[in-house]
Amino acid sequence: MADRHAASDFIVLGARALVSGIAVAVALGFAAIVLAQNAQAAAVKPGDAHTGQLLLETATPGEYTVAPTVETEAAIQVTGMVARTRLTQSFHNPGTESVEGIYVFPLPENAAVDHLSMKIGEREIEGVIQEKEAARKAYEQAKTEGRKAALVEQQRPNLFTNSVAHIGPGEMVRVTIEYQQTLAYDDGKYRLRFPLAVTPRYVPATVPVEALPDEPKTADAAPFGASFDAASAEALLQPAFATESGDALVNPVDIAVAIDAGVPLGDVVSTYHDARVDKRADGRVVVTLAKDQEEADHDFELTWTVAPGAAPQAALFTQTLDGKDYGLLMVVPPAMDPIQKAALEHVPRETVLIVDTSGSMQGVSLDQAKAALREALGRLTERDRFNVLEFNSVTRPLWPKALPATPANLATALAWVDKLQADGGTEMAPALSFALDGAETPGYLRQVVFMTDGGVSNEDELLKLIAERLGRSRLFTVGIGSAPNAHFMTKAAQFGRGTFTYIGDVREVHEKMAKLLEKIEAPVLQDVSIRWADGSPVETYPERVPDLYLGEPVVIAASAARLAGTVVVSGTRGNQPWSVALTPIPSPDASGVGALWARAKIAALMDAMRRGAGADAYRKQVVDVALAHHLVSAYTSLVAVDVTPTATGASKRALVKTALPRGTGGAARIPQTDTPATLELLLGLLALGAAAVIAAIGHSATRPGSALARLA
Amino acid sequence: MNRAMRFAAAALALLGAAEVGAAAWIHAKGFVAQRLIASAWSRAEAGGEAHRPWPWADMRPVARLTVPARRVELFVMDGASHRALAFGPGLAAGTPLAAEGGNTVIVAHRDTHFAFLKRLGPGDEIDLQAAGGEIVRYRVRETVIVDRDDAEVMDDAGAPRLTLITCYPFDAVRPGTRLRYVVVAERVA
Repeated sequence: MADRHAASDFIVLGARALVSGIAVAVALGFAAIVLAQNAQAAAVKPGDAHTGQLLLETATPGEYTVAPTVETEAAIQVTGMVARTRLTQSFHNPGTESVEGIYVFPLPENAAVDHLSMKIGEREIEGVIQEKEAARKAYEQAKTEGRKAALVEQQRPNLFTNSVAHIGPGEMVRVTIEYQQTLAYDDGKYRLRFPLAVTPRYVPATVPVEALPDEPKTADAAPFGASFDAASAEALLQPAFATESGDALVNPVDIAVAIDAGVPLGDVVSTYHDARVDKRADGRVVVTLAKDQEEADHDFELTWTVAPGAAPQAALFTQTLDGKDYGLLMVVPPAMDPIQKAALEHVPRETVLIVDTSGSMQGVSLDQAKAALREALGRLTERDRFNVLEFNSVTRPLWPKALPATPANLATALAWVDKLQADGGTEMAPALSFALDGAETPGYLRQVVFMTDGGVSNEDELLKLIAERLGRSRLFTVGIGSAPNAHFMTKAAQFGRGTFTYIGDVREVHEKMAKLLEKIEAPVLQDVSIRWADGSPVETYPERVPDLYLGEPVVIAASAARLAGTVVVSGTRGNQPWSVALTPIPSPDASGVGALWARAKIAALMDAMRRGAGADAYRKQVVDVALAHHLVSAYTSLVAVDVTPTATGASKRALVKTALPRGTGGAARIPQTDTPATLELLLGLLALGAAAVIAAIGHSATRPGSALARLA
Repeated sequence: MNRAMRFAAAALALLGAAEVGAAAWIHAKGFVAQRLIASAWSRAEAGGEAHRPWPWADMRPVARLTVPARRVELFVMDGASHRALAFGPGLAAGTPLAAEGGNTVIVAHRDTHFAFLKRLGPGDEIDLQAAGGEIVRYRVRETVIVDRDDAEVMDDAGAPRLTLITCYPFDAVRPGTRLRYVVVAERVA
């Protein structure tokens, strides 16, 4: 009895010692952190120059002038499923010296930029399309001769720069760019996206992710080709993000959208901005921002549905240019009856989940990836087979081959996922080779889901590998983290005949993964092909139509001497052949369809170039198409040059400040350069100290007659 | 000693060992990587192919940074990602390397490779050698402390310049400070 009493006393004492040990450790830890913070706060006052303006050194040392600012107006006209945007960028120079402004801005990935004009006072100068080097030369020459000029160059398919030479003190130069784009249509909903933010390239790579296939990939080669100088390259890699700028907007933007759908519209919703939606009596809908101007720090998105019953099954928009017909064709596969649907849903799947566990995934990115993996595993049923693999410097599969998704196997996989840690390099090729090994289980739909932040430099090699080894598998890429390499992952998904999903926030993991997984549970149509019933030759892009999932339409751009008559769309539904013949009523004179066709052709040529071989021939073809259709491309630029000189001497060049994307805080430019080493060391020593204290107390407490034992 | 206490002591000791180990790992990684890179570098200098410093390395050194007076020799990695910085100082993307002028920006951890920055002052000389290139000498003009958003220090100011950046304060315990310690050095003509 006495023994048991003593034992319980010791437990109480032990617990007290443990609790106080931990309390001491925690208190000391807090004290250390608070002291460190105080030291930080007291050490210096961070720069007072939070004006949101970029200063430029003048010829006189110590004297500065301010960089030009840009205001953007976007007027978007939607006709059917095509949008034409007129983008006006007003460069204002508030400084005291003439400057050259360079503005980096994003456009939608499929934008066909075909028009440029520059307005100085009342004079308007039209831009011309030229090969990239020639355009740059014309611009540089105008610059040296003191003439105003504007140059629009494509840096990546979704990132452009606008350079304006000689903006005089207090002067305003308005540059107008126009582009055409196809709207996204999914599940009965149209989606228009106007990108406004350039994601900071926080994790830099010396080899630019968008390097063209035929350009040397060495660190010392100019990353964007010889025609593109170092200063501009720097602009792209690290746009001049503004710091917190107080009340003034850094890049104010005003947006107006007019929708002329031809059919009554249902809900029109602006996803991220407050907007006024005005439905006019003539059926047109006009959307304007509720505020006069918004900051260009997060993308504008507008979605709308057409009234029930008015959803199109097929539509053909045509335009005749130089005796040739161009068309944009959209076909929505007819809804399935319940029996067909049930048959489709019973196609068992073999899912291979690949997760990047390289060092760059450390932290939130890996947490997101793990959450996404759990979500994916949770949706498998016993009919399915699956495997999971991680890769960093080496590739580690959970099993050598896919196993049935039994509860026991799923539990093993979940436990394995929990233990994943991020470290090491990013060797993607072995992981992709392992997943795309040609071993397909007959009767199973093989889907590879690839999660990464995409920090790679050998993208062309990887794309080639995907194209060569894909077989009947489908590759779905999932971009993780705040700045994944979206271009690479979009391309990888396209080569893999799958889709790309971007997850930028841990809170989005569930929703986005669920949506992706639900969608890919049932591909509605595979091996899609399109032909005109009269057998006439038609040049269509994309050449290979991607698989269609629930609610997605077939959208292709076509060109022929004459486009009319019946179109036959065929493919495989479940394991059955399927086809439908449609005679869309052409809506003629849809302006800009030719440009869209040319843009689609350029994208196809650039992809072909990526697959290897014949870069020069492809380059020439891109230039030919781009020049014929007045399009900005990787090899062509629009340039507008004033005839009369208005400035003397050289201008300072200035990167126009770009607003930071919302949610990125301020960590855009100077990288973080501290490690948790000191903190870990301190906490570790405290824990060791506490352990020693407890051990000592325990030791002395077990000795009879010790003060502590009596105390207990 | 009773079981609960023994257990508590063991748990705390384990936790402590793990934390100390993690801290040591950060330092060890930075140190060993630099030694391996040094040997890869000298092999490359001796006229071999560009070697990977270790078989699974996915980055390469682009320059050698030395401060003769302080006996500092560091190999600069390509890019300033967290991963690169674990192994050595990183050349900030988009900034040029020595030869052609402009503002060369190199960043590194305050508690490993760039801990010595606190001892640099105006007049100190820094040498930078790009792979296969000449040694270029810079002299420290000033040291400044800025907020991490004040990225002007990374802008090209025209004249050839070397900018070394690390986190500040040097002896802060908790990572994630907003302040940066910047050493601005100008090329010696």
